[in-house]
Amino acid sequence: MSRILCVDDEAAILRLLSVILQRDGHAPVPAPDARAAMAALGAGGIDAVLLDLGLPDRDGLELLPALRALAAVPVIVISARADVQEKVAALDLGAADYVTKPFDGDELLARLRVALRGAGTQAGRDGVLTHGPIRLDRSRHEVSVHDRPVALTPREFAVLAELVAAGGRILTHGALLESVWGKAHQQDVEYLRVVVRALRLKLEDDPAQPRLIRNEPGIGYRLD
Amino acid sequence: MTRLPGSFLLALAAVAAVAAVTTALLPVLGLASAALLFLLPVLLAAARGGLWPGLLAALAGTAAYNYLLVEPRYTFRIDRLDGLVSVCVLGAVAVVTSRLATRLLAREAEANARAQASAELAQLSAVLAAGDANDALAKGMAFVGGRYGPARLIEALTTANRDAVFTSLDLAAAAWALHNGDMTGHGTEIMGAADWSFVPVVAKSRPDLAVLALARRPEGGARTMSELEQVQQLAWLLGQCRDRASLDRERGERAVLEQSERLRRTFLASLAHDFRTPLTIITGRLELIAQRGSGGRDPAVDDALAAAHRLDRTMADLLGAARLEDGSLRAANESCDLVDATASACAALVIPPGLAVTRRVPADLPFVHADPVLLQHVLANLIDNGLRHARRALTIAAEPEDDRIVLTVDDDGPGVPVAERERIFARFQRLAGTDHSQGSGLGLAIVKGFAEAMGAKVSVGESPLGGARFALSLPRSSGASG
Repeated sequence: MSRILCVDDEAAILRLLSVILQRDGHAPVPAPDARAAMAALGAGGIDAVLLDLGLPDRDGLELLPALRALAAVPVIVISARADVQEKVAALDLGAADYVTKPFDGDELLARLRVALRGAGTQAGRDGVLTHGPIRLDRSRHEVSVHDRPVALTPREFAVLAELVAAGGRILTHGALLESVWGKAHQQDVEYLRVVVRALRLKLEDDPAQPRLIRNEPGIGYRLD
Repeated sequence: MTRLPGSFLLALAAVAAVAAVTTALLPVLGLASAALLFLLPVLLAAARGGLWPGLLAALAGTAAYNYLLVEPRYTFRIDRLDGLVSVCVLGAVAVVTSRLATRLLAREAEANARAQASAELAQLSAVLAAGDANDALAKGMAFVGGRYGPARLIEALTTANRDAVFTSLDLAAAAWALHNGDMTGHGTEIMGAADWSFVPVVAKSRPDLAVLALARRPEGGARTMSELEQVQQLAWLLGQCRDRASLDRERGERAVLEQSERLRRTFLASLAHDFRTPLTIITGRLELIAQRGSGGRDPAVDDALAAAHRLDRTMADLLGAARLEDGSLRAANESCDLVDATASACAALVIPPGLAVTRRVPADLPFVHADPVLLQHVLANLIDNGLRHARRALTIAAEPEDDRIVLTVDDDGPGVPVAERERIFARFQRLAGTDHSQGSGLGLAIVKGFAEAMGAKVSVGESPLGGARFALSLPRSSGASG
């Protein structure tokens, strides 16, 4: 059971989140504003935070780094705006993931599971990472899908390794580009599209209807 | 430099005084010293009265010297050569001295005038530099008016026309100055008979030329060219201040515009928030209700959920329409993967039971130039539109065509009559029509607006499936093609 801090100024949303979270066996800790959120997080025992960006007393994007500084727990941002920049900014500020209102309860729980898992097992073990049918051996530079070995170029391997390590969490274009190509290429989304396209052709059962690597337009990629 | 009779009298008096002294003291002084003493009145007269009193003193001094001192005395006759030489030398030295003294005097006066002019310029700059540009300009005009008489700033002929003080000749001179950037009117070569002088305040080539109008001096003295040149310098300063004022004004207007833009954005953002928060509660609760039922989902709950999702999409369309309307839409130009885009657009939609959706987007399709977020919205609307009209089948396909990629959405619905094909993309087209099952009609208007913002084209025709075919033609990305 995990204790999940829910920060939203709308009481009905807090009640809804409580029901959804309890369904997956979590213990919700409601906080109606930034002040209460800081207090609850400071008190300890919180495993993850669901943060609404539209708070009455403080901008959510401002609160995010403050929460991160207070406790090293994953924060999932809940945004009412379709604004891509806001989501990218939240992810850049350290949010583990985001969902957009109106969100799907199952999707929220799935994101939360990934975020909680990521927090626990971030330290790599023997260099072997798995995600669904993908098995990636970092030390031996080998990848297989459904036990079928796949030959990847170094760039393709590096991008896939980042995605697998994220374990279903979204990675922004900027973050992927920076870790694989370096800081100077943060804006070169085209590089990434070419490599993701190549990865799909090699990994997916039907590359025309990709299922493994999911695209979030304007934001980034995640593994499904 | 004043040439009053007084300075001539002064010259003669000084010569007389020197003549008296030298005549009395000649035995003590000697002839040479006496001659030198006659230069004193010349210097005095030239310094006080200028060239002509100086020359008069030179002439009178030489004559007095000759008459009173040179042998034979008390006659103008000169017997000896040395006497002649001394008279001639005295005369020449006196004349040259007088001229030199006058020139020095003139130069000093010029330097004074120049110093005064620069002081005036400095004072005006100080006045113009202080505080708000508009106030400073008014103070600067008052400063010029205080020194040169009534002054006005004319920015356009219409303002001058309304001013009763200008005669028709003045207006003609003002028009000339405004159009050609020349100094005109009183004191200049152009229409000098006018009562006012007109001095341009900004450089000739500028479209916003303005002129400074200066009235003829009330005491009647004509304005000299050098005075007008000084006024021209002052006018340049006024022009700079006027530029500052108009820059300030523009900045102010821009700030107001930005402020209202910010307000509008905040409004739209809060509108989205106010819409989506209740929608979240509705959909969330409906899903919980749907999951609570043990034996199969209640179709009524599914209907309600679908309606809530439709509402969310309409909200997104409305926000998109607002962005299109106010021109704040800025399409990014990235190379995008249509395979990606169609996959995520399809993932976001609920496909009704009994409907077969076929996707024929080749995995090696070249990339396109588009804005990924707008493209997503366009595809979602096109597919959503197809889903609402299709009876049993919907096909999404894409293929290269020359330097473009054409994505088509085909349905087997009723299709769009030829006459309707242009109008269907117009805003609220469906709302005005009779068939409300097709939604607000905003969806296709968004498709067209967003597509055009990205340099894409959208059209509707007949589908081989029997219904409508919507085609989206996107520029192919010049870069890598997968």
